[in-house]
Amino acid sequence: MIKTVGIIGAGTMGSGIAQVAALARFEVVLHDVSAEALKKAMDRIKSDFRRSVERQKITATEATEALAAIHPRKDLHDLGDSDFIVEAAIEDLEVKRKIFKDLDQIVGPGVVLATNTSSLSITAVGSLTNTPECVVGMHFFNPAPVMKLVEVVRGKHTSDGTAKETCDLAVTMGKTPVVCKDTPGFIVNRVARPFYGEALRLLGEGVAPVEQIDRIVKAEGGFRMGPFELMDLIGIDVNYAVTKSVYDQFFHEPRFRPHPIQRQMVESGMLGRKTKKGFYSYEE
Amino acid sequence: MKKRICILGDSPLVEEFAALCLNKGYTVQARLNASGAVGVRLPKGVKKILRPTKANDFALELTNIERERKKKNLIELDKALPSKTPIFSSSVTFRGGEQATWISHPDRLMGLGALPTLIEGSLVEFAPTQFSDVSVRDAAGRFAQSLGKESEFVQDSVGLVMPRILCMLVNEACFAMGEGVAVPRDIDTAMKLGTNYPHGPLEWAARIGPRHVAAVVSALHIGFGEERYRVAPMLQNAALVNAFRENRV
Repeated sequence: MIKTVGIIGAGTMGSGIAQVAALARFEVVLHDVSAEALKKAMDRIKSDFRRSVERQKITATEATEALAAIHPRKDLHDLGDSDFIVEAAIEDLEVKRKIFKDLDQIVGPGVVLATNTSSLSITAVGSLTNTPECVVGMHFFNPAPVMKLVEVVRGKHTSDGTAKETCDLAVTMGKTPVVCKDTPGFIVNRVARPFYGEALRLLGEGVAPVEQIDRIVKAEGGFRMGPFELMDLIGIDVNYAVTKSVYDQFFHEPRFRPHPIQRQMVESGMLGRKTKKGFYSYEE
Repeated sequence: MKKRICILGDSPLVEEFAALCLNKGYTVQARLNASGAVGVRLPKGVKKILRPTKANDFALELTNIERERKKKNLIELDKALPSKTPIFSSSVTFRGGEQATWISHPDRLMGLGALPTLIEGSLVEFAPTQFSDVSVRDAAGRFAQSLGKESEFVQDSVGLVMPRILCMLVNEACFAMGEGVAVPRDIDTAMKLGTNYPHGPLEWAARIGPRHVAAVVSALHIGFGEERYRVAPMLQNAALVNAFRENRV
């Protein structure tokens, strides 16, 4: 039975997952090598809890209890008593592989080691451990406290038990798990590619301009946001990187080929909302 | 006086447009293409015709699947209707410009983004051809307005905007399903919860009909000659089953 969830990485995703786990009444050990990152994460969590109380989404008691259940720690060995680990470090295969190799020596036998990745191979992440059957992908979506979906990704060696335990945990955290194979982009980042790719091609071919494509997709298709609005929100650089990653991992399958417009936007520094300029202008 | 419209084409597009036009006060005459029409009934109040009559204000040609059938329907409409009566013809699988060359009055033809269920949205896509008269563009806008829809005019290109994006999403979901990436229900759930799509792509395929989706993707494949647009084997199979059922049930 899972009582303590260890979370590695106190960035946006790690702190978001810690919030979710603590509100689901788990004890949480939140690890990061940076004391500053841990402090920032705790401040962010406190502030989010305060807002949730103000909006009456949780009670003040729930917020206090959840906050008390999160234990920030700098030493990876402090995760030794965890019953389930979620790693949410930076999206770098070598960094993740090193963490998983170290975890192998720290956690007890049979403890599930989940990696929160959107693009890396679960099989590769778990390849240096002695228990690859316990390694699984647990892809939370940003912002983790809000988004309901979790992709549970089965690597080459992931056991049925590991996948089930991960799904059960996701459900306890109030999420909806979907199980998928360890293939590039998993489900969402793969199936969504044509939404952007075709829109960019339509633009490039001069079939319709940005604003018109977005209007059509929303009014005719019922989508909440048009592809260009969404790329601006996600970050054109982030979207481009995901497209390139899926394209490369599929050995240059033409369906996933990035569009020159994306590259040009990135090169020009027009990355979307975060730079106040993308396919639209956000300057006041 | 009630506006009159003649609708020819594939099921279920003809039924969808006929029901909407009827609901908006049109007098509707319609004919379904023989293929794919077995067991299908037109909405009550729609006059079932063998041949289009002269007395119509607009005509809709809604064939997406069979090129020869579409060509025959358009020629028939062109001969039956007065030369200035606009014909709005689905151009998601055959470019409007090409269709216009099949008829004697090419200036009256305007491409239309007709794919099953998309008419439920609040906007209709039109694509003027190189021949389209400006008066036909005005008529298209008025027609959309009479159905309570906005209109957008885009360049004449296979798939237009929404049908092309949507069908390619479905195609990718079918590739993923065929490769066993996830079960269909999980693919749909993931796309709805992970990206806020209004429907899962596979649910959408079922609503639109795999034959229509496969026809659009296949048309893109032919039109662009690129591997990128090859039809997913799973979609191809679903389209075949779809065609079989429509013709045999």
